[in-house]
Amino acid sequence: MDSEDDMHDANDLESVDDDFYSGDTAMGNDEGDDFDFVDNESDDSEDITYHRQQQNYTILSEADIRLRQEEDISRVSTVLSISRSSACILLRHYQWSVSRVNEEWFADEEHVRKVVGLLEKLVEVQNPRELTCGICFENYPRDRMTSAICGHPFCGTCWRGYVGTSIRDGPGCLMLRCPDPSCGAAVGQDMIDLLASHEDKEEYSRYLLRSYIEDNRKTKWCPAPGCEFAIEYVIGSGNYDICCNCSYGFCWNCTEEAHRPVDCDTVAKWILKNSDESENMNWILANSKPCPKCKRPIEKNQGCMHITCTTPCKFEFCWLCLGPWSEHGERIGGFNACNRYEAAKQEGAYDESERRREMAKKSLERYTHYYERWATNQSSRQKALSDLHSVQNEKLEKLSVRQRQPESQLKFMIEAWLQIVECRRVLKWTYAYGYYLPEHEHAKRQFFEYVQGEAESGLERLHQCAEKELQVYLDAETPMKDFDDFRTKLAGLTSVTRNYFENLVRALEAGLKDVGSSNSEATCSKTSSSKSLGTKGKGGKSKATGNNSRLAGGPSHSLDESNLWFCHHCTYANPKSAKACQMCEHRR
Amino acid sequence: MSTPARKRLMRDFKRLQQDPPAGISGAPHDNNIMLWNAVIFGPDDTPWDGGEATVVVLGTAVAEGGELPPKASPLLEVVRLMPASRLGGTFKLTLQFTEDYPNKPPTVRFVSRMFHPNIYADGSICLDILQNQWSPIYDVAAILTSIQSLLCDPNPNSPANSEAARMFSENKREYNRKVREIVEQSWTAD
Repeated sequence: MDSEDDMHDANDLESVDDDFYSGDTAMGNDEGDDFDFVDNESDDSEDITYHRQQQNYTILSEADIRLRQEEDISRVSTVLSISRSSACILLRHYQWSVSRVNEEWFADEEHVRKVVGLLEKLVEVQNPRELTCGICFENYPRDRMTSAICGHPFCGTCWRGYVGTSIRDGPGCLMLRCPDPSCGAAVGQDMIDLLASHEDKEEYSRYLLRSYIEDNRKTKWCPAPGCEFAIEYVIGSGNYDICCNCSYGFCWNCTEEAHRPVDCDTVAKWILKNSDESENMNWILANSKPCPKCKRPIEKNQGCMHITCTTPCKFEFCWLCLGPWSEHGERIGGFNACNRYEAAKQEGAYDESERRREMAKKSLERYTHYYERWATNQSSRQKALSDLHSVQNEKLEKLSVRQRQPESQLKFMIEAWLQIVECRRVLKWTYAYGYYLPEHEHAKRQFFEYVQGEAESGLERLHQCAEKELQVYLDAETPMKDFDDFRTKLAGLTSVTRNYFENLVRALEAGLKDVGSSNSEATCSKTSSSKSLGTKGKGGKSKATGNNSRLAGGPSHSLDESNLWFCHHCTYANPKSAKACQMCEHRR
Repeated sequence: MSTPARKRLMRDFKRLQQDPPAGISGAPHDNNIMLWNAVIFGPDDTPWDGGEATVVVLGTAVAEGGELPPKASPLLEVVRLMPASRLGGTFKLTLQFTEDYPNKPPTVRFVSRMFHPNIYADGSICLDILQNQWSPIYDVAAILTSIQSLLCDPNPNSPANSEAARMFSENKREYNRKVREIVEQSWTAD
């Protein structure tokens, strides 16, 4: 993944609201089935900063889908000299791949005809005036009977019932065959149109449309609830991020919400874990002890150590050592001290279950740490999304009026919010990444937490500025002079945060191979305010951890954390003895 | 008030009466043509057909086709006149039809107790033409004939009765013995 792609990916955000694709997608050339890229003309009014150079997917509306489907059918029908209905059946069988249809057909037409049920019309020998319907066994004149290419006759009523039942049973109706079980003649759309009721015909046509997307390997429906668009994707271009017209971003590979830079497997594991019952078990293990007699898990919620198990057990025991209460008394050191426990621990007579409890507790705490942060960032993103919408819809106008600035000058607001939304998403998934990072890989872990910390604190600053400081200007009755300063500050923060996140994404995609040297200049020069690198749940490690790429600009070597402190202002790593920064002279 | 389903069922019944396949009989209930009773006789020359039956009259054994003692009952007369006094298994079933017939298959279930790899304990039958391979061309005669041939031609790969399936694959003799057992039971069951 080269840096150019990284640039684009960190700017995924910009496509959230762009109208790159209107209903009539550029159909362009009809060479084969693959669309390499679609030249997109970005709406000038929406042109933010970065221009996507290459798109590897196309968004299709219902009209587009129909059009394409009709075109494919026409193509096959012409080339193979068969009816449109037969072409449709063939295409559906070969997953709507025109090339495959041609290939298979010209390789062995007879075999294909047999498999699909497109038998060739046999010469009719007799022409009786009356025929017997094979289903109701009534006799009808010839012209009231219909049959598929095989010639088995059935009357109109029976056909209608047969076709109707099949359509109501589901998409299997697309593969309908002659009612005669020994005959495999296909019943295609032309016959459906002739024989089915109006509603059934519509239903059939809907199934056909859906089939074009669902049976085709190159297309998928947008997973957003209520969204009617489909996406056609060119496989092999690497980047799986899709952004639909409905502004939902998802991953092509796993159809989950967009989760770069974390890979699909990790995401799947994480989602499974969140819904997994095993965490409940872990909780029970970690926070409860089994009754020594009946083994049921007991949670101690208050009170002294004297536990009485519930009926029918009613065993009385000490919580600390799980020994029978009758053996406790003053000589053991009173009810609260439990010498026996200490002794047991010192002797190393640690119970197997005790050990498991400890491990479960640790594992649970660890999981909770990451899950909490993942979930918090998720809800934070949702809030940011709604804020973005409110900014776009009302606040921009209001601000424009209050501060007497034209709206085009206020684009930086939207940019900032888009950046926040995107960054929250990336940050959220980095927590899932962090959970699965192996514990023994200390160097990677340190580097990861360092880069993540930088990004997170940058984001917090940006988010706070966009949220709270904006409110001041919104509420102001008269235009305020320092609005321009605010604009500069916000734009600066946006840009800085973007850089931090680009670093993060790049680092994670490179598998944390310590490539952090490129970030030093960007961070130092663009930071406009030097608030403390506040941490959320990082445990204050951002100063002490991390590689020292800033110092040496080369491969990191682990520094002794306890001997250094990082300057708030210029981030220089000072020895512990220094009271003020050796570079910028700010006090510690 | 004749719906297509009912019309078709009448036809099926007529056909069954005019041209009954061997070993099969069936008729709808008097007041409900959607519910049928049917009887399937075990196919000949299989463990399902019961083997010879010895008829005992007043303590005297009577050989097949032999002379009856005087004052024998008319029923015995009928028995004597049957070409072969073989009383095969007579297995009773019910068929429940819906208004979707013939586009949807009926629900068929054995009433008699059965021991067969593809017949559940409650009498339901695991047969492809009754589920996904159904065609509106099949009629009652066709259904019953298929079931009859299923009796001596089970499919142990989709077992509804695992014990029967296992026995059929591993211990044929035991399986046949059990079959004869239920055949005999079918005579006495009401």
